[in-house]
Amino acid sequence: MRTGVFFCQTDDSRNLNIDAIAKYSANLPEVETVQILRLKPLPDLRFLSDQITKYSLGRIVIAGDIPGYYKPVFTRAMAMTGGNTDEIRLASFQEYGAKGENAMDRAKAIVACAAMGVPFPLAAVPGGNPVNHATLIIGGGIAGIQSALEIANAGKQVFLVEQTGTIGGHMAMFDKTFPTLDCAACILTPKMVSVGQHEMIRLLTRSKVVAVSGKPGSYRVKIRQSARFVDVKSCVACNQCSEVCPVKVKSEFDAGISLRKAIYIPFPQAVPNAYLVDEKSCTFILSEGKKCGVCVKKCPKECINLNETDHILDIEVGNIILATGYEFLDVSKIEQYGYGVFPNVLTSIEFERLTNASGTTGGRIVTKTKRFNKKTEKDEWIFSPEGVPPRSVALIHCVGSRNKKFNPYCSRVCCMYSLKFAHLIKEKVPNVNVYEFYIDMRAFGKGYEEFAERIKQEGTFIIRGHSASVEMNNDQMVVKGEDIFNDKLVEFQVDMVVLAVGLIPTPGTEELSRMLGIQRDSDGWFSELDYNGSPTDTDKGGIYVAGMCQAPKDIPDTVAQASAVAAGVLGSLTSGKGVGHMSSLTLSEIEAKAKTIHSI
Amino acid sequence: MSIRVNPMFIDDLVRYGAEDVQLCYQCGDCSTVCPHADEVYKFPRKSMRLLQMGLEQKLETTLEPWLCYYCGQCSEQCPREADPGETMMSLRRWLISRYDFTGIARQFFRSRTTEIIAILITAVLTGTFLLIYGFSGGNINVYDGEGAFLPSPFIHKFDLSVGAILVVFLVINAIRMWYLVMIKGTPFDVPWWIYIKQFYQLPWHFFTQKRYAECEKKREHAVYMPWIIHLGLMLGYVTMLILVMVYIEQLQAGPEIRWQVHIFGYLATIGLSIGTIYFIRSRFKKHYIQYKKSHGTDWVFVVLLFIIVVTGIAQHIFHRTGLPEMANTTYVVHLMSVVPWLLRMPFSKWAHLIYRPLAMYFAAIRRDALVRQFSIINSNPLVVK
Repeated sequence: MRTGVFFCQTDDSRNLNIDAIAKYSANLPEVETVQILRLKPLPDLRFLSDQITKYSLGRIVIAGDIPGYYKPVFTRAMAMTGGNTDEIRLASFQEYGAKGENAMDRAKAIVACAAMGVPFPLAAVPGGNPVNHATLIIGGGIAGIQSALEIANAGKQVFLVEQTGTIGGHMAMFDKTFPTLDCAACILTPKMVSVGQHEMIRLLTRSKVVAVSGKPGSYRVKIRQSARFVDVKSCVACNQCSEVCPVKVKSEFDAGISLRKAIYIPFPQAVPNAYLVDEKSCTFILSEGKKCGVCVKKCPKECINLNETDHILDIEVGNIILATGYEFLDVSKIEQYGYGVFPNVLTSIEFERLTNASGTTGGRIVTKTKRFNKKTEKDEWIFSPEGVPPRSVALIHCVGSRNKKFNPYCSRVCCMYSLKFAHLIKEKVPNVNVYEFYIDMRAFGKGYEEFAERIKQEGTFIIRGHSASVEMNNDQMVVKGEDIFNDKLVEFQVDMVVLAVGLIPTPGTEELSRMLGIQRDSDGWFSELDYNGSPTDTDKGGIYVAGMCQAPKDIPDTVAQASAVAAGVLGSLTSGKGVGHMSSLTLSEIEAKAKTIHSI
Repeated sequence: MSIRVNPMFIDDLVRYGAEDVQLCYQCGDCSTVCPHADEVYKFPRKSMRLLQMGLEQKLETTLEPWLCYYCGQCSEQCPREADPGETMMSLRRWLISRYDFTGIARQFFRSRTTEIIAILITAVLTGTFLLIYGFSGGNINVYDGEGAFLPSPFIHKFDLSVGAILVVFLVINAIRMWYLVMIKGTPFDVPWWIYIKQFYQLPWHFFTQKRYAECEKKREHAVYMPWIIHLGLMLGYVTMLILVMVYIEQLQAGPEIRWQVHIFGYLATIGLSIGTIYFIRSRFKKHYIQYKKSHGTDWVFVVLLFIIVVTGIAQHIFHRTGLPEMANTTYVVHLMSVVPWLLRMPFSKWAHLIYRPLAMYFAAIRRDALVRQFSIINSNPLVVK
């Protein structure tokens, strides 16, 4: 079929040499004419129909960033000359990812496929490699749990790797979920228990992926499982070891607002439900067996072995799912809020643990009380259940988010959880004033806007304007801000400040991306293959992203994405054929493949 | 009353130095940290907003830009790096060009080339005039007294005529400022006695620049250096201006300079030299946020002043060490830079010497009038039934 190739507008940032691509496409079979159009703003209809009749074109290829924009004109021109309007092919550099290192080759391949009338994904996606039926999931948060259950319920083997002593991730720390105000634990813990008991899931806690090799469909993964020092199978979580342990350190699960022992269980519903020893604080391990060791003697089941060592596991899997989640920005870097200086300035996760019924105060919202520490002989501020409830609380949105100095992006969940905090404070503390300082209220999901309206009607002072300073005046915290809608500078005396801290990728993200060869975006999150088309795939075959590690998102979106990933994995497992690395095929290979498909 | 929107205003202001206004997303951090923002005058966010909306006619009646002394805390704080401090600075430049009825200031601020060419032409004209005058009636080897190259009575008359031109422009511009701010921009009655009651503000802010010192509030330094140095520069400048305009004959006299004139002259010189050197150095080093961006007119301001100071000192030294020929030559160069400097005054950054105290005065009047207005409204409730 006589083909004409027309190049339209291309973004300069792609660094594509359009002249070279045009020359290349001139040598393709059946290509009669190649033209680079200067489009302002649309090509002339008469000119196009003249070209079609002049070269008697049967097929037209529109190449460029957004060829679909120009398609109607070409369709009309084709119809005017009596040609087949179905033979207008789009070669979109944007859609098929002609950017980065081998952008030129990819762009050429895109044009070649279009000129031969072959859909680009058909020729360019490497496939057909056999897939191992086991799946590795890195990260045991809600995303990892959801994916693991979906895949395991379909009868496929799953390895769930989790760095800490229990699965559950951040969601286990939360009290309520917005906007329904459901109890987070009630949703999560049944899922955690199913993961722990599932015959198709092998749960590897305190484990890290240390090396990955192999090709799509059969990855060989080396996992280092740190010693737990407690036998998971025989431990009954009787708490006797923890009672005798003399070491006290800050609890990670309680975001540092309470203390735990060196032998501990993160929280009562932990899965696996067994104790573990923190090797960084245990006296026995730090003194290399010379001191302490009381827990070993106390344990009635004799399941504690403080001389246990790490072991290495080698497994082979077909697909890998990344669900590594997020961390919080170090808010002490943002000095004007006085975090770490004033005792009652809290981060959002600290407040979340404070208000949680399983937290250190039993869910009572109180300010910190001063207590004399005999060991260090210093006053320290701690939460105690007998503390004084705050008379007024300030909630500050966008701390470190949407800020060019810290995170340029929106963390997406802060508006909603701050509104949820306002509700919880109003609910639990009588006669309290709650001030919310926001810049833009991002209540974007189903039922979110209604939730925001509800909080406003509950009597929370919602102030459009960001507070930039928290100061201490005569032992009273003062939050200053500008109330933009009322055109006033405001100053509120508050007893507690909760900062909606921005989210960042976990520290291990960089190492993992290097190990797997996955791209990261400019903010450090894992890059998906295509933001709109395939938000769960990566450019490596058989490696998927789910949840926060791709970009900040709330729990419903995370769960949806985790299930979508499971669908992708199960698809490759049932067909037995997996997708290869997206950039693994060379131009000549794609050309050859396109020619074969074309000739059929 | 409707206000005309100028959608191109924000682009226009780029020429005055405000490049990043569009980035602002109205969080109000800048107004929160500003030590000068209060219940009546809230800035910089509000000015940024007016600018984004293109409310040119509203902005030209505001006083907020003059209440800012550019400590830079807002720009340090700004999460969008929209640089509110520099925006306020640019608005001051724009306001100067707005108060100026001739339109020259606008040309100068918008084009550095125009400004430099104008300065050069004025300098050359001045130099030619002085040389012709000097050679026609005097001897280049005589500095003072009989047959002097540039006799002091002549310079006195020359200075006074330049000063008269300057005063005419400044007075007209100040009246325009008063009209824009107090008539167009104050939508309620301002009784005459508030003008008298607040009159002390004018000399008070002129001679102390107290609000500049308040920029210091949240900083750790014992003394806010930019304030002290700026004050020294300004006082030195004003002293020197008075000496030159009134006491030029004593100042230029031979060995028998009166000690009062002498002391004031030296003090003024110290203030001027330290000030110019400090500000040039800061603009080069850029270690404070307020010196990060320098508009063309800022450079012209400090460099021209520096040349004036250096030639002034050199001329004095040559004269005192008995080198009349050199002294006369530097004198001509000195005057060649002084005349464009003085003539440029009403159209340049320099005009803030007048506008700033005036703005403080007007701001105090407006605040009083506003309080009075509220009390009138509150004491006379509108009774419907």
